[in-house]
This record gives sequence, C-alpha cells and structure tokens, in this order.
Amino acid sequence: MKFLTKINRNYLLLFSAILIVLSFSGYFILKTIILKNTKENLISQEALIEKQIAETNRIPELKPLIEVVQVSGQPVGHLEFKDVRIFNRNENEPEDFTEYSNIIKVNDSYYLIKIREASIESEDLAISIAVTIFILLLGAFIISYIITRRLNKTIWSIFESNLKEIENFDLREHKELQLRSSNIEEFDRLNIVINNLMAKLKKDFLSLKEFTENASHEIQSPLAIASLNLEEILQLKLDEESFRKVVTAINAVKRLSALNQNLLLLTKIENNQFAASDFTSFNELIKIKIQEFDLLFKEKDLRISFISKSDFRVKMNMHLAGILLNNLMSNAVNHNINNGSITVTAEQNEIKFCNTGDANELNDETIFNRFVKGNSKSHGLGLAIVKQICESHDLEISYHKNEQHCFVIKPIFKN
Amino acid sequence: MKILIIEDEIELLIAISNYLTKENFICELAEKFSKAYEKITIYEYDIILLDITLPDGNGLDLLKTIKKHNIKAGVIILSAKNSLDDKIVGLDQGADDYLTKPFQLSELNSRIKALLRRRNFAGSNIVTFNEISINTDSKILTISDQQLTLTKKEYDILLFLIINQNRVLTKEAIAEHLWEDNIDLTDTYDFIYTHLNNIRKKIKQAGGTDYIKTLYGMGYKFTDQ
Repeated sequence: MKFLTKINRNYLLLFSAILIVLSFSGYFILKTIILKNTKENLISQEALIEKQIAETNRIPELKPLIEVVQVSGQPVGHLEFKDVRIFNRNENEPEDFTEYSNIIKVNDSYYLIKIREASIESEDLAISIAVTIFILLLGAFIISYIITRRLNKTIWSIFESNLKEIENFDLREHKELQLRSSNIEEFDRLNIVINNLMAKLKKDFLSLKEFTENASHEIQSPLAIASLNLEEILQLKLDEESFRKVVTAINAVKRLSALNQNLLLLTKIENNQFAASDFTSFNELIKIKIQEFDLLFKEKDLRISFISKSDFRVKMNMHLAGILLNNLMSNAVNHNINNGSITVTAEQNEIKFCNTGDANELNDETIFNRFVKGNSKSHGLGLAIVKQICESHDLEISYHKNEQHCFVIKPIFKN
Repeated sequence: MKILIIEDEIELLIAISNYLTKENFICELAEKFSKAYEKITIYEYDIILLDITLPDGNGLDLLKTIKKHNIKAGVIILSAKNSLDDKIVGLDQGADDYLTKPFQLSELNSRIKALLRRRNFAGSNIVTFNEISINTDSKILTISDQQLTLTKKEYDILLFLIINQNRVLTKEAIAEHLWEDNIDLTDTYDFIYTHLNNIRKKIKQAGGTDYIKTLYGMGYKFTDQ
C-alpha cells in the first residue's frame, strides 16, 4: 500500500469515527441543555401566572399549554415534571409535551397549575443543530482532505521522482545519480545518505573492476612465459613420458589462459565496452561460422542445416556477434552425439539453435550460470558469455527441450 | 630480416628473441616505451612486434608514431589484453596483425612469415621444402612440378607445418592455428589426425615423400632429418 493511501485511509477512518461521536454527543448535550431551559422557562411562567391571579384574580387558561384548577386543602409546593401525551384535535394526532405541575396558594386559595411545552420542538431543534454540526464538520473534512492531497502530491512528487531515478540506476552505465533536492529536511537527509552510499558503491565497483582487469592482464604474461618455455622444452629430444607431461602442461596453461580471457571478456561485456554503431546480419555470420565449423561437424558426422526464413539483424559489434555464434555453435557440437544433427533457424525476430544430444533435459535455470559445465574439459563460461552478450543487447535467450536441445534468442521489446 | 621486439616482460622478450634468432632473424630488443621510440625513429626494421602495455607508455602511441613517420616495417601487436576493442583499434591504426598472449612461438613464426610474404619483403611468394613448393598467392601446391589439389584446411595445415619445419607442434597448436577465433574446443582433436593422413596420402600419391612425423600420437613434426 502506498504511503499516501495508507495515510488517507487512516485519516478517513479516524475522521468518520470522530464525526459520528461528535454528532451524537452534540445531539445529547444539546437535548439536555434544551430540556433544562424548558424547565426554567416553565418555572418562570408559573411565577407569571401566580402574579396574574394575585393581581386580577382571574384564572388564566390556554389549553393545552396552561391549565389552572382551583383545589382545596392540598399541600403546597408539590411540584413535578413529567412527559405527557395529549391528543391534538386540530391536527388529529397525539402530541408529546413536557408538563410541569404544582399547587400554589394565592390569596388563601389553592390552585393546581399545569404548564406544558411541546417537547417535539426541542427534539427537532437538537436534531437540526446536530445535523448542522455534522454537515459543517464533513465540509471541513472534505476541504482539508482535498488540500492535504494536493499538498502531498507536490511534496511527494520529488520523492517519487528520486525513487524512480534510483530504481533505474545502473552502476555499469557510468552515469551520476541525479537526485532532486526538496525543502524538506527528511528527504534531503535521505538524498545525502543515498548519495554517500552510491559513491561508496561506485568506488568499490570500480576498484573491483579495475582489479579484475589488472589481475587478468597480469596473469596473461606469466602464462605466456610458461607456455613459451614449455614449447621450447617440447623441441628437445624427449621420451614419451616426458613428452606427454609437457604437452599436458601446455594444454593446462592454455586452458587457464582461455578461462582468464573469457572471464575478462565477460567483465568487458558487462561494462558495455563494445559499442555497436551498425547492425550485424546474423544470417551472413551464421553461414561463415558453418564453414568454419565444417571440420568439426564432419568429425562427428553431424548434419547441419540452416533455415533462413528472414534476416535476423541486431545492433551489435560484429566480433561480439561472432563470439556469440561461436559459443552457441561449439555448444551444439560439443554436446552432440555422433551422427546427430544441428538445425539453425533464422527468422525476423528469432534465431534458434537446435541440436541432438543427451536425452536428459538440462536445467534451464543454471545452464547460463558461470562455471556450470556440461563436461569436465570445458571452462563453463561459454553460455554465460552468450547470456551476457544477449542481456547487454536487449536480447533474451531461453532454453527448452523437445526432441532436441534448443536455444532461442529473441529481442526484448521495450515499451 | 631485422625484427624489433617491444615487450616489457624480460623473460618473454628473451624467449621470443632466442626463438627468432634460431629462425635466422636479427633481433633487437626494447623493454620500454622510450627505448622502443628511439629505435623505431633511428633504425629500420622489417617487422616490429609490439606489446601494447608498457611501463612508461601505451604501445598504441608507438603505432601512431610508426604510421606518422611512414615507417615501412610490418607491425604485429602482442597483447595480454584480449579485448576486442584493443584489437580493432590496433588494426584500424595500421597494425598488420594481432596476437593474444599467451601465443605459441610456432604461431608467431607463421604470422611473421605470412606478413613478410604479404609485404613481399622476401621477394618471393613461394614456400619450398625439398620437392614441395607452395605458391601462397595462388595457393597452388606442386610436388616435383606436379600440381596437387588440397582442401582449404589441408592447405592451411601443410603451410603451417612447412613454415614451422623441424619444430614439434601439438595437435592443439595446429587446431588453434586453423581457428583464430576462440572456438571452445573441448573435444578431442582427432580430426587433425584425419587431415594429416589425407595430406600424407595426397603427397605420396603425387610421388612426394612423407615428411610428417608423428610424435607419441600427441605432436607432429615436419622434417626430412
């Protein structure tokens, strides 16, 4: 859930609760206040009536609001409030009243006074006031909600754009991380922290890269010395055992060197050091490779077929494309069976290498990893290099097995 | 033939120079950029072997100097950096060939000879060994004036053997010579054996001598001794 959504949702829930509680409590408080007022009102009316009787000796009558009856021999001061329901003949329905009754003594006569006030009015008042409160609060809430939403959007937009920048950041692209600064302390602090972190990462990345390159480079020279000297020893008169040992040593040095060179190549592809300005036609290259591999096909009696449905073109350095095809072709030959076959298919948006081979399906999750070997003699980098080349050229490589082992390369279409 | 070897690894420098001296080249050595620069600008060479990474400069800058001064020597870059970009830049800037360390001396020899033939320094494009003669321009092989047809790979193998005559070559070295690009050859190199047999048969049928000696099934030597 987004931060803002979370905040807004909580805000909404809290405000709804507050709104309901406030409206209800407002209603009850108002009702109590109005009732108290009504009672005071009734008592002051009583005083007026008492005064009128004393001065004019006339008994006021205003049914159903005021009823005065002369009574005899009653105790004075028995006052009482109660709710009553009286039938209204005009409207032909019962009405609720708050009734105040008392017995007073005026000029030696006793009167029972009943004064009433319609309670429905006070109820209505309380409700309408409560509703007004509710509407006002709701209005305030909606306005403040809209304002905070607007504010949040502008405040968080910088954060959002920075987040996007970090998401799209790639150390290998040699670009600086451009974080926008806001006037918000927390965000700026975050920017500083991220920038520091990035600087350190970059430094580590570069030094590791440099180390890999230097190490690979420095390894080549001693290997060259070893290889050259072994080659010279081979020219001496050697018995079979010594000869075999020297040849084994030469080949081991060669393997070590190939491994080192391939690791270096991987690093360089990762660093995007092979800029491509032109498109390479894979169809032409595949034809050349098939000729180059001719001997190797014959060695295993492999049938090679190239189905060129359409030209597969990619913006890629030609030598790199050559390495890609070399590795795929070597793979198809090395893991093939005698009298097997290799089928290369080129379409506009796909090239496919299929070869016969082992009956077991390979693990498509690990075959592209480094040092995953099909046999002990290979260095296990061929397909890793293929994958790295594909990845750095927006291509996708996948493996599947039906009758044959197939590797499919397709462009990734970016939106 | 005079060769200038520019290489900062002394041991490598000595190994290369010993070998090339045996091959009857006159070798001069430079282990530093400054020394190499001096030699290039003062003396004349037929071939310059150029290492790209030198302690006091970049070999590619020497290449620029060579081109700027119109020096006629053929240049072969020897680089520990197997980076394609170096290779492309080097060849673009006028180097004639490029070898990645570690290389085989037989391969270096073959490249030097090929370069010399291309540049016609030897005044000849004919490689001969007793009754065998190869015209490297027309790629025609004759044995005692009788023409012989070889496949492209067979021709390449035979030329490589003759250029490196009297030298032990492993199957791997021959295979590597055939495929300059690093093909991930993990299987046996038996096809080399098949091809050598074909070459032997063809030479014998044409009345030639079989000069290819097999050493313990692992190496070959082209020799009449």
